[in-house]
Amino acid sequence: MTISLDDCRVLIVDDNEFNRKSLSLLLLRSGIRNIAFANDGVDGLAKVESFRPDLVLLDVAMPRMNGLEMCRRLRSDARYADLPILFQTALDRDEEQVACFNAGGNDFISKPIRPGECMARVRHQLERRKLFIDLTVFRERVEKELRHAHAMQLSLLPEPRRVAELGETYGLEIYSHFETSSELGGDLWSVFEVDADRVGFLIVDFAGHGITAAINTFRLHTLFERSQARRGEPAEWLTYLNAALKDVLPTGQFATAFYCVLDKRTNLLTFAGAGAPNPILGVGGDLTLLDSSGLLLGISHHARYRTQQVTLPPGGFLLLYSDALLECRGTDGVAFGQEAVLAQVRRTAADDGVLDPVAVLLKPFFERVTRPLRDDLTLIWIRRR
Amino acid sequence: MEFHARNLADAIEARLTGRLEFTDHDRLRDIVALLDGPNLRRFVVDVSGLDFIDSAGLGMILILQEEAEQKKIKLIVRGPRDDVKRSIDLAKIGEIVSIEY
Repeated sequence: MTISLDDCRVLIVDDNEFNRKSLSLLLLRSGIRNIAFANDGVDGLAKVESFRPDLVLLDVAMPRMNGLEMCRRLRSDARYADLPILFQTALDRDEEQVACFNAGGNDFISKPIRPGECMARVRHQLERRKLFIDLTVFRERVEKELRHAHAMQLSLLPEPRRVAELGETYGLEIYSHFETSSELGGDLWSVFEVDADRVGFLIVDFAGHGITAAINTFRLHTLFERSQARRGEPAEWLTYLNAALKDVLPTGQFATAFYCVLDKRTNLLTFAGAGAPNPILGVGGDLTLLDSSGLLLGISHHARYRTQQVTLPPGGFLLLYSDALLECRGTDGVAFGQEAVLAQVRRTAADDGVLDPVAVLLKPFFERVTRPLRDDLTLIWIRRR
Repeated sequence: MEFHARNLADAIEARLTGRLEFTDHDRLRDIVALLDGPNLRRFVVDVSGLDFIDSAGLGMILILQEEAEQKKIKLIVRGPRDDVKRSIDLAKIGEIVSIEY
């Protein structure tokens, strides 16, 4: 690969005028026109500040401050930790050459200068620096964009204030946790007012994680506002979401989902699943895994979903969660698994003094797994007052 | 995930072992390439050696299904057990792909 060195800046530090001239001629011949000179280490340090070179060609033996000392001082300054420094030395003993590297030099060229070798080494260092800077700039840009995108993704979730308001309206305490495995994730949950008595909860997990999955959560979110009429009928609503997603998702992209509607007047919980992990229903100390089986959203236009019904009376609770809770493996390589989750939910529910059951439930989970998580994690604990 | 393929009369059988998950996406291409075999009528994916499948793994099976369908090859997923069976059943993959238990 050949990169243009037109805009590269090279500082030549050498006390011998003949050497300075011959090196600059070599550089000019290679198309490097931005060249500055210094006579010794002290002068060299000042020129680095004022000229901001991309590479320093540095003599070793010089009056006032030698090249090794100048190099050490540059390396002790974080701004110049990555500045390519190429020693030019007539000293060809092994330990003398090692001293150049120990002082922080990237490479050296032997005097008398051989033009071909000299320019090959200069070019190599400058190209490396260019690629490194390109990569750094790219990385910084991507990191910034991902931070913005992360904030946008969080804005898809129900606002805490709204969740609290809905809790008041429908007599619920709602606790949640949302954590992506990288800046962006494929999980999403939401809560919907159906009518004065009924409130709906949706949890969705797009396959994979990262940017592709995250874009799909935005796609889905735009579908929420349409078709509000069907929100009272879980199977119908999943059928609608499935059809809309099938139209836009390529093969291999899909989502698991669970949607339920709680009626505070009749205590009925109506629900339909599309392959989400089995939600846990807790009533009077008994835990039940709800049937959430159903064809994944976005795979087939022929998918049909089934609405089922259970009772969720006051005092009871429902836990929705994404598969990361079951599947994330601890440092011992063992996943939490359904049994351990059930046991932990039982312990959490039995403790009346628990202020935030989600935090309590997740405590042993986070003691086992390492962060960042391997998959996106979402939990919603809905308790009826 | 590891896989070994063998030729039967009019079919290829690919036996998957280990865990089929997000990180295996690159291996999928190797499995899809098997569908280009001559005179292929059936493609059997033996998953009895799989211990775990995540949603990305289910996605891979669905991609295989579509690729096979386009080439008029019958895809059969054979022998899911334990966690893998639970995941396949939960996601109702059987509505799209032929599963032999």
